[in-house]
Amino acid sequence: MKYLYVGAIAGIGAGIEREAYREVRERVAAGFGAPVRELELPGVEFAYDAGRRQYGSIPVLEMLTRLCPADALKLLAVGGQDLFIPVLTFVFGHAQLGGRVAVISLARLRQEFYGLEPNREIFLERAHKEALHETGHTFGLVHCADRSCAMSLATNVRQIDLKHAAFCAACAAQLRRGLREQ
Amino acid sequence: MKSHWQILVVDDEEVMCESLAAWLREDGYLVDTASSGREAVDMASRRDYAIYFVDLKMPGGMDGIETMMQIRRRQKEASIIIITAYATVDTAITAMKEGAQEYIVKPCNPEEISLLVSRIIKVKNLQRENTILRKKLSRQYCVHDVISKNARMHAILGLAHEISSLRSTVLIQGESGTGKEMVARAIHNSGDRAAKPFVAVSCAALAETLLESELFGHEKGSFTGANQQKQGKFEMAAGGTIFLDEIGDISPKLQVDLLRVLQERSFYRVGGSEEVRVDVRVIAATHVNLQQAVAEGRFRDDLFYRLNVIEIRIPPLRERREDIPLLAHHFMERLSHELGKDIGEISEGALKLLMDYNWPGNVRELENAVERAMVTCRGRGLAEEDFSFLAQNGASGKSWAPPAGMTLQEMEKLLIASTIERTGGNIKEAAAVLGIDRSTLYEKIKRYEIPR
Repeated sequence: MKYLYVGAIAGIGAGIEREAYREVRERVAAGFGAPVRELELPGVEFAYDAGRRQYGSIPVLEMLTRLCPADALKLLAVGGQDLFIPVLTFVFGHAQLGGRVAVISLARLRQEFYGLEPNREIFLERAHKEALHETGHTFGLVHCADRSCAMSLATNVRQIDLKHAAFCAACAAQLRRGLREQ
Repeated sequence: MKSHWQILVVDDEEVMCESLAAWLREDGYLVDTASSGREAVDMASRRDYAIYFVDLKMPGGMDGIETMMQIRRRQKEASIIIITAYATVDTAITAMKEGAQEYIVKPCNPEEISLLVSRIIKVKNLQRENTILRKKLSRQYCVHDVISKNARMHAILGLAHEISSLRSTVLIQGESGTGKEMVARAIHNSGDRAAKPFVAVSCAALAETLLESELFGHEKGSFTGANQQKQGKFEMAAGGTIFLDEIGDISPKLQVDLLRVLQERSFYRVGGSEEVRVDVRVIAATHVNLQQAVAEGRFRDDLFYRLNVIEIRIPPLRERREDIPLLAHHFMERLSHELGKDIGEISEGALKLLMDYNWPGNVRELENAVERAMVTCRGRGLAEEDFSFLAQNGASGKSWAPPAGMTLQEMEKLLIASTIERTGGNIKEAAAVLGIDRSTLYEKIKRYEIPR
């Protein structure tokens, strides 16, 4: 039996961030139809870039690869750190395309990040969509042209809000094939 | 459609290179990486990449600008994006002057890269579609690709090829749907004017005043609604060919104007006083008998003779039934792709039904019939019942009857004359079709005084 692991990166806040982690764990279990297990992950201070005041997502993925349990179908990490890859100013999340591990950042999903009033529902919904998106990449799904599909590319939160927390028919079919092959 | 396009990321810093490549792969592109300018140039000489992301500062004697110049020497249409962490106005200007499509500073906003790539790919898709359509169009109407094994059609296509590079006016006569425009395009595409425009005008579709403005253009203010000067079809076809379809339907005034263009190679725009000179080859077509129209005074004889320098008469489909199976298979093959249906077979019964039908609408009607049958077909092959709608049309060849009062001798003479015409004057073939000896046929030709 293989499990879909959802792990919390150390340092995740006790309040709304912890709630987002629990929400992601439950909804990912339903979204992928696989048994889910929890995992507490160590901190990622080693990935901190003082110049950018952000965390590199590539070293985080390397750590996740090392810690990925043998019985893991996939491992999705949830953290509060603002992530980046060297060529881009930020990323909402990062995954190994067709690989085993992925990470999502909650930092830029909050309304407060953009100087707006906090909104619990919007925040949780965004976290759910990003979790589906990055986990979808680990099953080999690439960005979808259907703007309402969870696999459509989002480079800002408006685009995340516009898409649904579900896969379009074509991506869902490819995902089913991916799940069967695992 | 993204996966057809390949992208090359060039950066000496592996982490930069791989992170951008991974991000683009998530977007569905095929991405290769190169860690130096030399490696990139080497890869570019082996494969056409749609987009190159090239880092400006690279060691090893070949920086981003030099790499870009070397790539552009091999691929003039390459889209190259220079990326740098050390942006200065000077390097930006140099990059753009040397042909960079964009200059971006890293780290850059994901939205910026995403928009940039999708914009370039959109243009590449359009360019490719344009190339495919151009190829498809010229191939579809080339003399060698016209489908027929009929002797008269072969003679017509041979003539079309011979006259393709002349400037002489051509008059194509034939029933509706026989492919008059296709032959006109074949003449145009086979000759020296192939690279110039082919402009088709249906003279029957427009009222006299509109047709005049359509053909010769108009000056601003020449009539109500003429808000600006407009080029006519003759000007649009400059250096190429103008195809005037249904020429038999034009008014007496336009007949005079057209005669002037053919004689003088010049005309005036509607409401204009300046003479416009053009080098255009005219190919006209009609489904009516123009000689009869001349005899009845409905068409100017001087214009008829100007148009009828080279005459091509396309036989109706019922006079070249041997082409029906060929054409049916050709349409099936083409429509299988267009309709997304894998139908490759046609039954003997269905072919016999098509061969027996009279085809008043000619090749166009056959094409429509095959399409209709393929749309409604449930199996992997077309059967007789898929063409049941043809029987309902009531124009089957079986219902044909000779005119009342015709003698047997008149009937025989008519049959021999039409068979000889159909075989393009080939007596051996005509005798075989009629089921008689060649010597018997010669004797009958002599007796009935049938011209050959």
